[in-house]
Amino acid sequence: MVQNIIVVGGGVGGTMTANNLVAKLYPEIIRHKVRVTLISNSPWHYYKPAFMYVAFGAFYKNELRRPQASLLRPEIDFVLDEVEGFEFKNSRLRMSSGKIYDYDYLVVSTGCIPSPERIPGLKEAGDHFYQHDPARELYKKISTIEKGRIFIGVTFPQTPNVPHQCGIAPMETTLMLDEFLRQRGVRDQIEIVYTYPTISQLVRNCLFLQRPTGEVLPSIFDSKDIKYRRGFTLASVDSERKVAISEEGQEEDFDILMQTPPIRAVDAVINSGVSEASNDEGWLPTDRESLQLEGFENVFVMGDTVDLPISKAGGSCHNQSPVVCNNIAGLLRFAETPAEYDGKVQAIAQMGMEAGMPLWYDYDKDVVPTPPTKIGGLMRKAFNRGIYWSVARGLV
Amino acid sequence: MTNEARTEASPKSLEQVLEEVPELQDQETLDGLTDLITKAAPLIQGRRLHNIVDLLAAASDVIEMADDAMVQKLMALYEEGIGGAWGITNALRYASAQAAHDETPPTIWKSLRRLSKDEDARRGLNVAINLAAELGRQSRAANKPMLED
Repeated sequence: MVQNIIVVGGGVGGTMTANNLVAKLYPEIIRHKVRVTLISNSPWHYYKPAFMYVAFGAFYKNELRRPQASLLRPEIDFVLDEVEGFEFKNSRLRMSSGKIYDYDYLVVSTGCIPSPERIPGLKEAGDHFYQHDPARELYKKISTIEKGRIFIGVTFPQTPNVPHQCGIAPMETTLMLDEFLRQRGVRDQIEIVYTYPTISQLVRNCLFLQRPTGEVLPSIFDSKDIKYRRGFTLASVDSERKVAISEEGQEEDFDILMQTPPIRAVDAVINSGVSEASNDEGWLPTDRESLQLEGFENVFVMGDTVDLPISKAGGSCHNQSPVVCNNIAGLLRFAETPAEYDGKVQAIAQMGMEAGMPLWYDYDKDVVPTPPTKIGGLMRKAFNRGIYWSVARGLV
Repeated sequence: MTNEARTEASPKSLEQVLEEVPELQDQETLDGLTDLITKAAPLIQGRRLHNIVDLLAAASDVIEMADDAMVQKLMALYEEGIGGAWGITNALRYASAQAAHDETPPTIWKSLRRLSKDEDARRGLNVAINLAAELGRQSRAANKPMLED
């Protein structure tokens, strides 16, 4: 009997995992004992971290996307459809097309959705770079502003110990913004204010979600005349007065509000009824080592959808994918899950427009900040422009 | 030059530096350095370390010269190469596995019937014909007699 493995989500996590599953289970696949299906609601695969560069005019749309099917091994059945309902108890998916898919093993890698509408006034008056069109809008503003105040803020999920999307991105874009405005020759007339909320995962009153990095930021910001402020948790935005209002009772005016917005899981995941996350955010309860959905041995969760204290970024998926594949192979072959995720995430932070800083951390060790270098910057550019696609194909 | 610059301390001798650098007061550091010097001595004596220094200088020059445009071109080359090779090896592996799955290969008549009915098979044949035509065009362009200018 054929074992059906379904991967839901055409982001980097789902794509690399479908490809890695074929490689891992190839003997079973060529004997038609296993079938791998990937379901995505988009015919395109987007390199999401490049949206950040779109905000600085450094990427065009066609440079940051590929047809989803072109990134999948031919053994994978690609289904263009949207999951409307996850029926974990029945091992079944209900699709928006009306079709039903039964599975033996499921990988949920459906990502998260930026939701600025969850803060009053933010959608109308704020900007962000986590999607293509908002990033283009932000670019139009920062490439034309001549003087004023750019106010930067970060919103964390309300679920305890869950980070926002790509933890390093607000810091990266702050440094990129400083350099971008210097290149434009308008930096002296524009004040940049970087803020961080009172509660950020497990730390309080810091400038970054990990204390060692948070402690080196003041000297970096001072050297670039970037103002910084702790304890600003955005509560609402007065779009007419152009004022950001915090839960702590402060009011800050702005010409541009660059705010990392609230995020949530996709509707079908929220509506599955399995999530225990606060504020209807929908993160799935995930075993931190096996990456199985709590209470469902045949369901695995990865990427942004998990409720783990680990970055919602491709660097997490890269390390979670082999664990998921090994554990599915283990269950299929020996009814056991031999692999454990140690929380490892790696990335190359973009520190300004040219420099880069390789970084890595896991459940137990925080990032150790190192001096940004041009070689680090070239590594990041090389990843952005080519190596990423090899990662999605499961080659790197 | 400013007054401040004129009043700067005079340069330290190598001996002073060796005495003052904290890392060099550590026995393990000194032992490690002794090992490295022992290894490097023949290279220094034979002037062969010069080549390594030249190599590092060349690598450093390349890094200095590299810019966004160069990275984009190099990575486009990488992506086209890897993506193309990946696509071809995927197609070969998949086609081979499918062919091996049939206990007896189809007859020529069956293969022709499949070619006639299967749209993707016809498209593949069309790709092969287009490839042959393009190779022919390039061959003609590269080898045609050229007039002297």
